[in-house]
Amino acid sequence: MSLYELLGTVEVGLIFGLVALGAFITFRILDFPDLTVEGSFPLGAAVAAILIVNFGWNPWPATLVAAIAGFGAGFVTAFLNVRFNILHILSGILVSISLYSINLRVMSGPNKPLLGAHTIFSAVQGWGIPAYILSPLLLAVIILSIKVLLDLFLHTGLGMNMRAAGANPAMAAANGVNVGRMKLLGLGMANALTALAGAMFAQSFGAADAYMGIGVIIIGLASVIVGMSILPVRTIAQATLACLFGAMLYRFAVAFSLNADFLGLKASDVQLVTAILVVVTLVGQSSRSGMGKLLKRKSS
Amino acid sequence: MIEVSDVRVTFNKGTPLEATALHELDLVVPRGQFLTVIGSNGAGKSTSLNVIAGLVRPDCGKVVVDGQNVTDWPIHQRSRLISRVFQDPKMGTCEDLTILENFALAHGRTQPRGFRFAIDKTIRERAAERLKLLKLGLENRLNDKVGLLSGGQRQAVSLLMATTGETRVLLLDEHTAALDPKTAEFVMELTREIVTELKLTSVMVTHSMAQALHYGDRTVMFHRGRIIFDAQGDKRAAMQVSDLLALFKRDQGEELSDDALLLG
Ligand SMILES: Nc1ncnc2c1ncn2[C@@H]1O[C@H](COP(=O)(O)OP(=O)(O)OP(=O)(O)O)[C@@H](O)[C@H]1O
Ligand SMILES: [Mg+2]
Repeated sequence: MSLYELLGTVEVGLIFGLVALGAFITFRILDFPDLTVEGSFPLGAAVAAILIVNFGWNPWPATLVAAIAGFGAGFVTAFLNVRFNILHILSGILVSISLYSINLRVMSGPNKPLLGAHTIFSAVQGWGIPAYILSPLLLAVIILSIKVLLDLFLHTGLGMNMRAAGANPAMAAANGVNVGRMKLLGLGMANALTALAGAMFAQSFGAADAYMGIGVIIIGLASVIVGMSILPVRTIAQATLACLFGAMLYRFAVAFSLNADFLGLKASDVQLVTAILVVVTLVGQSSRSGMGKLLKRKSS
Repeated sequence: MIEVSDVRVTFNKGTPLEATALHELDLVVPRGQFLTVIGSNGAGKSTSLNVIAGLVRPDCGKVVVDGQNVTDWPIHQRSRLISRVFQDPKMGTCEDLTILENFALAHGRTQPRGFRFAIDKTIRERAAERLKLLKLGLENRLNDKVGLLSGGQRQAVSLLMATTGETRVLLLDEHTAALDPKTAEFVMELTREIVTELKLTSVMVTHSMAQALHYGDRTVMFHRGRIIFDAQGDKRAAMQVSDLLALFKRDQGEELSDDALLLG
């Protein structure tokens, strides 16, 4: 693996760290298996690409609006669940398939190239340092800031209410927590992070694509499960760090297995390998970590 | 003060499983009164607490707490007026949060902290000070996850949490039933101390006739969704556990003869 490839993998690993943080909020904190991300990832990509290319927006506000769109998508999923009592998984599926159509409308087609467009990465070019070094640096700063903000939020009164709402809804309600509102906020936040990841991925990769959301849910989940079963997760800050680490590790595992010719894997095998990885980790970790318990209990 | 007037509760309405759990219930608990509630299984004791706390919406009737009509309020809104300790120690505390965080959560009920940090020096000190009452050494374990505590310890913490804010109404549903006799006694004495000290309006459901007569100022007995017995003052002071048992038996007997009629 060359330095160029290495930094490229780091870049994607950082971006998918946001997806992992989103999965951490939904699966781990809110106990809400959220499938919306399959649609909100390409939604973020599509919104950012259109605003930058068709409307000539500055890439920063375009990226921000993409995240807000993601918030809206998560909010709708939570609303279907909270207000109309639709099963959480089904709510997410409904919103993500709707988003598939919406994304095609937004882009007026299945994809939108961003090559040559002004992106958040081109803003940091030309300082005498090559872009393939500066881009991951920029991303690292953004993603770590978001991680710290999330840690801080989860320690506020509101953040603690959200944690209680997921862990013990009846007890939370008896202590004045509006559990439904916490789901709306949490799913909004998680999908804002996912859409942000989509927007950044499109700008890094050079295009937005309606199909780029396939498997995002399982990548996020794999990152959270793998990260949290390897690193200690006694505090919130450790847990979010473990998610970022898991996302990075996942990316490297994918890069290596695709590079290893003797395995004979093709790029299209990634989803299958990921699913197997999740199963193996869940089976292997028995009931050691809370996450394993959580997901296994649910499936039984 | 709690006023339940003319409340009817029917479960599974319109299905073959339809069952009326409360029949036109009227119950007034004046400010500062400690009411104990007894009755056989399925008599409607928990359902009436759930109606007061907002977990069960009545078909008709009205619930007023501290002068406010709360009939249409959701649970979390009522929690500003009402606190609860559940029978299951796992329900009263959140095991993924630390003792201190649980305390802060209970504190937020009457003083929400929004975007400020959930825990600050005042809350830490207050929690430690309250936990000292328990003499269990928990004030030195503030940062331990609640999941590490025993059932009795968790129940004691739940009770402190329930009485930590500014709520004036306390609902206890067999809150010592899952504890061993010694711990149950300890939690019960603690309940009495706190309720007396804070002059809380309290309703306690129990299956122990002795407890029902020993604690509190008034005792009611539920039977099939109705209050069939209500005693306070001298009448209650003169009552023995055996008198209550006799009442209990009479109702069970009545139930049997009803069934016999149906079968016959
Ligand atoms: N959620 C529910 N759905 C259907 N029926 C219910 C529900 N909750 C209670 N009931 C029924 O309502 C009646 C009263 O139940 P409740 O739980 O109030 O009894 P209880 O007096 O608390 O009894 P116990 O001493 O066993 O706790 C019972 O017949 C019960 O089966
Ligand atoms: Mg009961």
